Amino acid sequence: MADLGFKGNTVRRLREVHVVAAELGVAQGVGWAPAHHGELLQGTFADDGTTSERRTYRALVTLPLPHLGSRAVFHPSQDHWGVIGTPELAKVRRAAVRALREFGGRPGTAKGGQIEITSDVPRGIGMGSSTSDVTATIRAVADYHGVFLTPEEVGRLAVAAECASDSIMIDDRVVLFAHRDGRVLETFGPALPPMIVLGCDTDPGREVDTLAMRPAEHDDHEVAVFGVLRAALRRAIALGDVGLLGRVATASTVLNERYLPKPRLAELHALLRKHGGCGIQVAHSGTVAGLIFPPDARDAALRCRDAVRAMGLPITCLIGLDETTTEREMVTA
Amino acid sequence: MTVRSAFEEATDAYRLPRLVRLGPNLYGAAFTLMKMVPARHIIRKALADGQIGPDTVIIETTSGTFGLALAMQAVHIGRRLVLVSDPVIDERLYRRLTALGAVVDRVPAEAGLVPGGFQRARLDRLDELRGEHESTFCPEQYTNPENPRSYASVAELMVEALGQVDCVIGPVGSGGSMSGTTRYLRSVTPECRAVGVDTQHSILFGHPDGKRELRGLGMSLMPANLDHTTFDDVHWVSAAAAYQSTRALYAQHALFMGPTSGASFRVADWYARTNPDQLTVVMLPDEGYRYTDTVYNDEWLAAQGHLTPSLPPEPDVVTDPTVPADGGWQTYHWGRREHPDVIALAVP
Repeated sequence: MADLGFKGNTVRRLREVHVVAAELGVAQGVGWAPAHHGELLQGTFADDGTTSERRTYRALVTLPLPHLGSRAVFHPSQDHWGVIGTPELAKVRRAAVRALREFGGRPGTAKGGQIEITSDVPRGIGMGSSTSDVTATIRAVADYHGVFLTPEEVGRLAVAAECASDSIMIDDRVVLFAHRDGRVLETFGPALPPMIVLGCDTDPGREVDTLAMRPAEHDDHEVAVFGVLRAALRRAIALGDVGLLGRVATASTVLNERYLPKPRLAELHALLRKHGGCGIQVAHSGTVAGLIFPPDARDAALRCRDAVRAMGLPITCLIGLDETTTEREMVTA
Repeated sequence: MTVRSAFEEATDAYRLPRLVRLGPNLYGAAFTLMKMVPARHIIRKALADGQIGPDTVIIETTSGTFGLALAMQAVHIGRRLVLVSDPVIDERLYRRLTALGAVVDRVPAEAGLVPGGFQRARLDRLDELRGEHESTFCPEQYTNPENPRSYASVAELMVEALGQVDCVIGPVGSGGSMSGTTRYLRSVTPECRAVGVDTQHSILFGHPDGKRELRGLGMSLMPANLDHTTFDDVHWVSAAAAYQSTRALYAQHALFMGPTSGASFRVADWYARTNPDQLTVVMLPDEGYRYTDTVYNDEWLAAQGHLTPSLPPEPDVVTDPTVPADGGWQTYHWGRREHPDVIALAVP
């Protein structure tokens, strides 16, 4: 069973790459960051977890997708300020500039440079391509400067570059992340419980411009509901209760439907019930949706995959099934 | 991962219930003072929203534990509190309220003789008082939507501690606790069933208004916060049945609770037995200290005729919710319907 948490392997791997690069005499920084498949929960939450407190944060719980990601290589330059990146990657440029400012000023540091992004994360459908690029970039610049960043520090820099960022950089635990404040509100546990997630694109061909999206405005009643969902998710992750986790994801999906409705969600709900799944999660800033199954429901999930395909919806992921059955039908940027 | 911490103030410490196992599939939510949930939430929200200013007098009509909870919260925020109550307010409660600095304004005994009874007279007096002070805030537990909303915190505790709750059972008064708790439990588990506990001659679920022996349960006026579509089933429990069950709850589970808790326990104990596959939670709203001379006193019970006969093991199923039985224990399948829809069926 694939483990959905990834416990810091990323950073270790990057350090090794760096050492090799240095030995070859190539001074550059390398960073990597995974994709995600939207959120298990997204809403507005009271800071201390009780609904009667007044300060609230928009926050989310990301469903990470570690087999896809972005790799950034930072090629330093002493000649010019700023970063030459691919022109359309405005957020990457901002992230690199901010990271340079953060680590700059030391002897021998770069004044600027070029960021080269290699990514297999689909764009514009809510799988975190942008945060993945940004996080990989921050890590690459940090790597070049030999700086170790905690996941929270990466998160803060990513939010500064992006305004809102998901929590894929917090890769050693499951967190409720205030995606506009760069703040961890709560740590639920070291990893998500084993489960199967069958992902699909509910609106193939449509791209969502996350920069143009208005933030959700949840009323007092909804904030109260999100408090209850947060408590349920706390239990689901602590006890490995996929059924309860699925209920939380479904409730979050339904509550947020009015902000970015997913076409054909009702059909997917019907499929979920028919095949014995336990919940539906979505990307709140994209078009992907995931049907959640218990970890031992492999056959049901595969039958359901065929049914989703028959609806004409491309499969985006099959989390929790072994490599031979994992499909990547449409994972081209 | 989290460190246990101290409470900032007493009302926070009183707010949440203890969840106690009472059977294989039955848990009690034992409150010290359940009304603290809405009282604290409503006052804090009004303070944050600016509805309570530095000189605001808090005024509410209550002769029960909601007033006590308000009086405690008023101490924390240093505001004056006037409570309009029945003339028959429990003497111990009266002393507790006034010792906290609250003013208890009792309506005259004659008010009980006119239609609407004390509840109507209290509302009229409340309006008078509002005119007498420059700045007042009325928590309005019967109509304020923050009352049911405050119970999200109770639902949070239940889902975190118990996961999927299949059925919640509890007494109905203002409607806040049952409508609110159920609504928030259903945000995770939409199929969660709700069973309301009332007493004969209470108008909440169809009975005509009449004299009620059981204090703390039943109403003469319909509270706006009661969402009838919450309830799958309704039970009417007599004073004798409630008192005997209050004692059973104490004798069998060492939970020292008041008679509304006893009434709910009677229904919940039966429900959990007959539905062994459903994780059931019963709301136990307050403690037994106010009833040591009555419900917890065998001589008093015998003198009132409540000690015998012992009560039926299951409720009578009634088909018409508008006709109260003479004591005992009845149930009606409400079916999450609106009040007028149910009553229209009953009245030809």
